[in-house]
Amino acid sequence: MTKIIHNISLYFSFLKASLKEMLIYRLDCIVGMISQIVTQLVEIIFIWIVFQNTDNLAGWNFMQILLLYGVTLISIGISDFCFDALYDIGPKYIREGEFDKILLRPVHPLISIIGSSKEFTALGYFGLGLFLTITMLIKLSIPITIILVLKIIFFSIIGAAIIGAINTIFSIASFWTYRSNEVIWSFYRIYTFAQYPIDIYNKFIKVLITVILPFAFVAYYPSMNYLGMNSNMIYISPIIMIVLWIIAIKLWNLALNKYRSTGT
Amino acid sequence: MSIIEVKDLVKTYKIIQKEDGLKGYIKNLIKPKYNEITAVKGINFNINEGELVGYIGENGAGKSTTIKMLTGLLSPTSGKVIVNGIVPNEKRIENNKNIGAVFGQKTQLWWDLPVIESFRLIKKMYKIPENEYRKNLKKFTEILDLEDLLEKQVKNLSLGQKMRCEIAATFLHNPKIVYLDEPTIGLDVFVKENIRKFIKDINKEKKTTVILTTHDLKDIEDVCDRIILLDKGKIIYDGEKQKFKDTYGKYVIAEFIINSKNRTISNLDNATILEENEKSLKVKFMHNETTIVKLMNEISNYCIIEDIHIKEAELEDILKEIYKGAHKC
Repeated sequence: MTKIIHNISLYFSFLKASLKEMLIYRLDCIVGMISQIVTQLVEIIFIWIVFQNTDNLAGWNFMQILLLYGVTLISIGISDFCFDALYDIGPKYIREGEFDKILLRPVHPLISIIGSSKEFTALGYFGLGLFLTITMLIKLSIPITIILVLKIIFFSIIGAAIIGAINTIFSIASFWTYRSNEVIWSFYRIYTFAQYPIDIYNKFIKVLITVILPFAFVAYYPSMNYLGMNSNMIYISPIIMIVLWIIAIKLWNLALNKYRSTGT
Repeated sequence: MSIIEVKDLVKTYKIIQKEDGLKGYIKNLIKPKYNEITAVKGINFNINEGELVGYIGENGAGKSTTIKMLTGLLSPTSGKVIVNGIVPNEKRIENNKNIGAVFGQKTQLWWDLPVIESFRLIKKMYKIPENEYRKNLKKFTEILDLEDLLEKQVKNLSLGQKMRCEIAATFLHNPKIVYLDEPTIGLDVFVKENIRKFIKDINKEKKTTVILTTHDLKDIEDVCDRIILLDKGKIIYDGEKQKFKDTYGKYVIAEFIINSKNRTISNLDNATILEENEKSLKVKFMHNETTIVKLMNEISNYCIIEDIHIKEAELEDILKEIYKGAHKC
C-alpha cells in the first residue's frame, strides 16, 4: 500500500514538473486551448443542425444531448491532462531512446510516462465541458445540489481514469511500432459513439462501447443518472475502472518483458 | 564478496535480414527472414565492492549489451547476472534503487526546468533522506563547481555544464554501483579532469563500484584499476590495468630527430619503422629485443641524429595493437 501511495505521489510530482515545463511556453498553451475549443464548437454546431430536423434522438432532446456532450468533455479534458504522454511512448520514448532512462528509475515506467504529460491545453476541453454541463443543468431546471456536484466530480474522475486505462492498453502497440500514437488515437476515437445515446446504435456498437471498450461508462450512464433517467449503471463504473486498470497494467508489463528480451 | 556476478552470459539478437530493392522490402514486410546475431558470447566476471573497472572494447564488441543486461534493461538469452544479490532482469525496480547510470549524452534531467528541480525530483524518487541529500548536494556542488548552475534551466547549459550536473544527479542517492557509458564524450579537458576527480573522490569515500565504458582511454588510465577488455562478444583480458600494460606494452616508441639523410632507411634490426620523413624517424621496438644504443648506431649510418624522444607505450597504443590482431591476446 505504501508503495502505491509513493507511486501516486511521485506521479503528481512528475506531472507538476511537466506543467512547469509547459507553462514556459505560454503562447503554445493559449493557442492549443483555443483550437481545442473551436474544434468542439464545430461538433456542437453539427449536433444543432441534426436537431433542426428532429426534436429528439432516442428520446433525448437537444439540451440533454449537450449535457451528455459536456460531461464527456470534462472527462476527456481530465484524461488528456493526466495521461496525454501515453501518445509519446512510441514516437518519443522508444524511437528516441528515452525509454531506457525511464526504465532505470526506481519507479514503474508508466508512472514516469504519464507523469510527463504536458497537455495543458486539455483545460480547453475541460472548461467547455464544464460550461456546457452547468448551463444545460440550469436550462433543464435540474436542481444543482451538493450531492449532484460531488457525483459529477467523482464520476468525471472515474470516467477520465477509464479513458486512461483504455489508452494505456492500446499504448502497448508502442513496443512494436513507433506510430503507436496513431493506434491509440484510432481506438480513442471510438468514444465519439458514447457522446450520443446508445439506443440509436445497432447491437454491435452497443456491445462495443459498453463491454469491449466501455466508453459508455465515461459519460453516458453518468449523464442518465444526473438527468434523473433512473440509471444505476453509473455505480458500476468504479468497478469497471479498476478492472480496466488491472488489465492494462498486467498487459503492459507483459509487453514490456517481451520488449526487454528482444531489445528492439 | 562480489557485488556483481556474471556467469556464462549470452545475448542473442534476432534481426530482420534486409533485402535490397522495393521488392525486397515488400517481401520483408510480409514474411521477414531473421538473422541471429550473438552480441555477447558467454562471458564471466566478478566485480567486488568499491572496484573501478574499465569495460572496454571496440564498437560492436558487446559492451552496451552487457551493461544493458547488468542494469536489467535487457534480459539475457542465457547465463546469470546477480547484482548486489538481485537478479536485475527479474527485479528491475528493486535493482534500480541501488544503481546509477549515465548513458552518453542522454540526460536524465528535466530539460526545461532549473537543475535543482531535477535534483528535488530525484530526491523524492529515491526517497533520499533530507540530511543525506543536503550533505551530498553541498559536496557535489563544491567538487563539480555547480554553484552557478543549479538555478539555470538545463536546456541553457553547455555540454560540459550539463554533464557535471548529470554526474551529480547520478550519485545523489548514494548508489552502490554506477554505470558510466561514455561520460566524457565531447567534453573539454578541464571538465574531463573534473569528472574523473569526482568519480575517484566518491569511490574513495563511499566505496561506490564504478563500471566505466569509454573510448577515451585517458579516462581509464586515470580512473580505473582494473580492465575488462571485450572483443567480438568475448572477454580477452580481465585483470589489473598495470599488469595489462606490463604484459602487452613492453615496447617503446622512439622518435629520432634527424638531419641530412642520404637514403631511405628501409630496415632496422629488431625494430619497426612507424613513420619516416626528412626530419624525423619514428620506430617501435621491444625492450628485450634491442636497445636504444644499438638503434642509434644503426641509424647513424644513414644520417645525423639530432635529438631523441622516447615514449613508453600508452594504453591507447596497446589497444590499437591488440585490435589489429586480436588473436595475439
